[in-house]
Amino acid sequence: VRCQHCPPLRALQASAVLRRVSDEHKKEPFTSSSQQQFDRHPAGHQPDQEPQGPRPSYTGQGGQESEDYESEEQLQRRILTAALEFVPEHGWTAEAIAEGAKTLGLSVAAAGMFHSDGSELILHFVSECNAKLSELLEKEQKLVQLGEAEKKPTDEFLRDAVEARLRMLIPYIEKWPQALSILLLPRNIPSSLSLLTSMIDDIWHYAGDQSTDFNWYTRRAVLTGIYNTTELVMLQDSSPGFEDTWRFLENRVADAMNMSNTASQVQSTGEAVVQGLMGAAVTVSN
Amino acid sequence: LSRVRGAPRALRGLAAGPGMHFGFQSVTEEERREKIYQVFESVAKKYDVMNDSMTLGIHRVWKDILVHKMNPCPGTLLLDVAGGTGDIAFRFINYVRSIRERQLQRKLKQHQNLSWQEIFENYQEDRFNSLGDSQVVVCDINREMLKVGKQKAQHLGYSEGLSWVLGNAEELPFDDDKFDVYTIAFGIRNVTRIDLALQEAYRVLKPGGRFLCLEFSHVSNPLLSRLYDLYSFQVIPVLGEVIAGDWKSYQYLVESIRQFPPQEELKAMIEDAGFFKVDYENLNFGIVAIHSGFKL
Repeated sequence: VRCQHCPPLRALQASAVLRRVSDEHKKEPFTSSSQQQFDRHPAGHQPDQEPQGPRPSYTGQGGQESEDYESEEQLQRRILTAALEFVPEHGWTAEAIAEGAKTLGLSVAAAGMFHSDGSELILHFVSECNAKLSELLEKEQKLVQLGEAEKKPTDEFLRDAVEARLRMLIPYIEKWPQALSILLLPRNIPSSLSLLTSMIDDIWHYAGDQSTDFNWYTRRAVLTGIYNTTELVMLQDSSPGFEDTWRFLENRVADAMNMSNTASQVQSTGEAVVQGLMGAAVTVSN
Repeated sequence: LSRVRGAPRALRGLAAGPGMHFGFQSVTEEERREKIYQVFESVAKKYDVMNDSMTLGIHRVWKDILVHKMNPCPGTLLLDVAGGTGDIAFRFINYVRSIRERQLQRKLKQHQNLSWQEIFENYQEDRFNSLGDSQVVVCDINREMLKVGKQKAQHLGYSEGLSWVLGNAEELPFDDDKFDVYTIAFGIRNVTRIDLALQEAYRVLKPGGRFLCLEFSHVSNPLLSRLYDLYSFQVIPVLGEVIAGDWKSYQYLVESIRQFPPQEELKAMIEDAGFFKVDYENLNFGIVAIHSGFKL
C-alpha cells in the first residue's frame, strides 16, 4: 500500500486494521505516483483514527509499503536506528531504545520488545557499520574497474579499510567499551562472531584475495587479529585525531606483510638447507 | 501470522460459549458478573493475607517478575486494571523511583565541571520529580477492593503518581491512546467477556504500548499437575474457610483457574485483539504465566 503522505503513526495505529483490508487494496490497480492523495479509508473504515501529536517528517516509502507484511522486524530496525543518536548520552541501554521509540512517536514501552541490556542495539549498529563498509569498498572497486582510480597495494588497502571501519566508532567511542563487553556475553557471541568474520571476509574479498588453500584461513586470522588489537588501542587513544591508532595499524599491517615474506623465505631457506644436507650426506657416503 | 479467523474463534472471547461459567457452575452473563462482584466484596479485606497463605508468599515473586519484565523507565504511564489492592502499582512506583535515583546519580557525576549555580538549579528541579513524571492509574470494578487499596497506600506512604478509578475492564472510562503499559494481574480470569477486555486494552494503549497479563495458567507436566490439583482443591478452600471464613469464594477461585483458557489459547486471543509480538513466559512450570503483547 503506497501512501506517501500518510504519517507513519497513522499507519502504525491502523496496522492491525490495515492487514485485514490490505487484501482489498492489493486488488486495486495501483496508479502512478501522480495520485498523491490516495484515500486509504474508503467508506469510513476507521472513522476515529486521529493522528497523534507531532508527526515525524519521514518519507520512508519502502517502510510504508512493507508495513503491512514485514512490519515487526522493519519497525524494530527503525527503532534501533533512531535509538543510536541517544547512545552517547544514555549508553547502550534500554533507555536509549526507549528514547529512540519516542522519536518515532511510539510509547517508551516499545523498548520492551528488546532485551534490557541493549544487545540488539549494539548488534544492529555493528551490522549497519559492516554494511556501510561493504558499500564503501564496492564503490572503490567500481572506480578501479572504470579506470578512474589506481588499484592500491594490499597493505594500503587493508589499512584503509580497517581505518574506515574503525572511524565509524568515533561518535560512540566513549560507550564502546560497554558495547564490547556486552558483545562478549555468551548469549551474544554467536552473532557478534559471525558479524566479525563476515566483515573480515568482505575486506579480503575486495582486497582481491582468491586463495583456495590454507592461506584463506591464515589471512583472515591475521586480519582479525589486526582489527581487534587496533580497536582496543583506539579505545585508549587520546591523541588528536587518533593518530597513534593509525600509526599502530600501519605497523601491524607492515608486520603482517613481513611475516608472510618471512614465511616464504624460511621455507626456501629450509629447502636449501635440506638440499645442502642431502649433498653432504651423499658426499660423505661416497 | 494468519489473520483469517473462522467463526469458532469469535466465540473464544466469551468465557465459555454462550452459557457462562462461574467456577464449575453454569450461569448467565449477568449472574456471573453479580457473583464475581460478591466474591471480591467479601474477600477484599483478607485478600492480601489469603494470597500469602495460598501461594506461600510466592505471589510476591510473581508480581516482582512482572514489573521487572516491564522494565519501566521514568515517564511511563501505567494502567493497572483489576489492580484492587495495588500490589502492582506499588511495585511499579518503587521500581521507577530507584531507576530515577540512578539516573540522577549519573547526572550528578557528569556535573563535576559545572558551576555551583548550575548544579543548584539542576538539583532543585530534580528534587521535586522523584518519579520522573511516571504515573499509575489503578482501575477496579469493585469498590471494596479499591477501598482496601487506598488504605494500604496511605499506610505504606504512597501518594505521588497514584490514582484510583472505579471502572469495568470491558468498558474502560479512559480515552484512546493514553497509556504506555496496561497490566492485569490475576484479574482477567474474572472478566466475563475477555475479548472485550482485550479490545479495550488495545484501545487505551498508545501506539507502541505494551499489554502485560499475569494469570494462573495450565500446567503441562502431569505429575506436577496432579500435585497442584490436590493442593488446589483440598487445601485452598480450607484455608479460605479458616482464614477468611469463606469457603465458597475460594472454591470459586480454584475452579475459575481450571476454566481459564491455557497459554496458547490466550495468546491467540490477544493476537485477535490486534496485538503484535505476543509471547508468554511460564513461571513455576505453568502454574502462572505472563503474556505480553505490543500495540504496533
